[in-house]
Amino acid sequence: MSARTSAPVPARVVRWIILGAVALLMLVPLYTMVINAFKPQAEIIANPLGLDPATFTFDYLWAAITSSKFNVIAAYGVTLLFVALVNVCCIALAAPVAFVIARGRSKWHMGLLLLFVSGLFIPGQVTLIPVVFVLRLLGLINTIPGFILFETAATLPVTIFLFAAYLRTIPRDIDEAAALDGAGRIRAFWSCIFPVMRPIVATVVVLNSIGVWNDFVSPQIILGPSSGIYTVTTGVYAAVGQFATDYTVVFPTLLLAVLPAMVFFIIMQRHIIGGLVTGATKG
Amino acid sequence: MSQTMIAPPDTAEPPATATPPPPRRGKSAATRVRDALPGFLMAAPAVIVFLLMFVIPMILAFVLSFTNWNGYSLNFTFVEWDNYLKAFRNPRSVDAAIFTGIIAVIGTVLCNVVGLAIAALISGPGRSNTLLRTIFFYPYVISALIIGFLWSAMLAPEGAVNGMLTTLGFPAMPFLVEPEFARACVIFTIVWSHFGFNMILFLAGIKSVPIEYYEAATVDGATRWQQFRNITLPLIAPVFTVNIVLTLVGLLKAYDIVLSLTDGGPAGSTQTIVYQILKDSFANSNLGFGAAQSVILLIVTAVLGLSVTLIRRRAERKVTD
Repeated sequence: MSARTSAPVPARVVRWIILGAVALLMLVPLYTMVINAFKPQAEIIANPLGLDPATFTFDYLWAAITSSKFNVIAAYGVTLLFVALVNVCCIALAAPVAFVIARGRSKWHMGLLLLFVSGLFIPGQVTLIPVVFVLRLLGLINTIPGFILFETAATLPVTIFLFAAYLRTIPRDIDEAAALDGAGRIRAFWSCIFPVMRPIVATVVVLNSIGVWNDFVSPQIILGPSSGIYTVTTGVYAAVGQFATDYTVVFPTLLLAVLPAMVFFIIMQRHIIGGLVTGATKG
Repeated sequence: MSQTMIAPPDTAEPPATATPPPPRRGKSAATRVRDALPGFLMAAPAVIVFLLMFVIPMILAFVLSFTNWNGYSLNFTFVEWDNYLKAFRNPRSVDAAIFTGIIAVIGTVLCNVVGLAIAALISGPGRSNTLLRTIFFYPYVISALIIGFLWSAMLAPEGAVNGMLTTLGFPAMPFLVEPEFARACVIFTIVWSHFGFNMILFLAGIKSVPIEYYEAATVDGATRWQQFRNITLPLIAPVFTVNIVLTLVGLLKAYDIVLSLTDGGPAGSTQTIVYQILKDSFANSNLGFGAAQSVILLIVTAVLGLSVTLIRRRAERKVTD
């Protein structure tokens, strides 16, 4: 629809004005956050968009890195661990059941799919309160296994749906070839079918990783401040929440929190966009 | 939310290679159990986790919504419909429901209008378009909580936006101080962070339209606007459905961004339903009331999601006929 050379000059000018203005609107907060992470409070307020070499300092960024309120490096590690664990659990649980659903033809298989798909319509926050109750009964409240259990369950509907849709496109010949080798059905699945699912597994990992990394409500409520375990989001909340007007804490902390996500985005952009389109149009 | 989601899993023809169904009669019960066992073992772990963390909690939410449980004591009584009546009468809950509705409706319209407009402007090939796509889309990977904190610093009385305004000679604005301004800021921040997602889906839709259609239309002398109106829009109708449903359902549960941007203030003017639910359940120790509001939100979300899908599907059919 766009920049074809045939477009008249005024139309092209208007297009660039619109796109330029919106792009500026998108970038100004990012720019403000980055440059103000290196400035003292008075300078941030007096001159939010400028950078004066005289007052430029790494002190506040260093203070945020070494803050006793919020250990960013530890939070990166904890959150990364959670992302990895949820991905492993989610795939280990979702792949076999998706295979059973994709290959089965009885009303039980249909019911199984409907059970999981119903989860797509239900916001996780709605079930969070009784989940706390269930986790307390299981003795898992304020623990990492409890949190992983809930996050895994939350990722199951989309994952199973995408896996089942993908598996239906894989011919059954592979199943039979595997069965002829004498492998049991479960082993045949993991050794012969699962490797074929690589593209959709990659999609699911990208989508679920962003979801778990950015989740705030579940770690805040299930892990809770009493556990002393902070993810990036709950740590930022603990660190910035109280100091919302001390910008020498706010901007460096936000910069540190955003950095890994931005690096991930820049490296994986193509996969994120591809995964998003697959996820939205198939799910 | 597309056709495939509602469709049963095996509407497709069974492949020719499928083995004929095993004869039922000849098999003993033991053999049948043995045949079904691997499938059962493969399905069981996911089903157990899902029941434990999703289905049972949902049933519990329904049960708890009829009690006055405070979240820890063992003493609670059934209070019939009291929590639901309270949810409809309590001005705080009603205000939160109205503001959530405003966010969902205005947010969905703006995200889709801006997302579609930008997608139409940058759908062509070229490096500048790829770069612009990145710039419009990047907030998607940043947590809503952090986006809220960032904009709260930008829009604060002495924040960067007011700094710019005063430098340019304009008066400072009470962005997060006056209720009306604060509500507008919440919606602005949500649209700012979300329209890139809608844009990505519209872009995928626009790019899937065969280029021959445009070539034929150009030969026939159709203007670019006519091409957009009569070729692109009808062909991306399913993308509209997905975008509207996903945005609507997503915005109905807005919470993180409100918490960090305004913390529900000033004077409770920007509290949303989920904000109320979590506050009542945990800070106010009124889990029964929180559960009742959860159940209402769940029903509203499911009904809206399904009815928009059905209405849009009818519209899609009308367009494509």
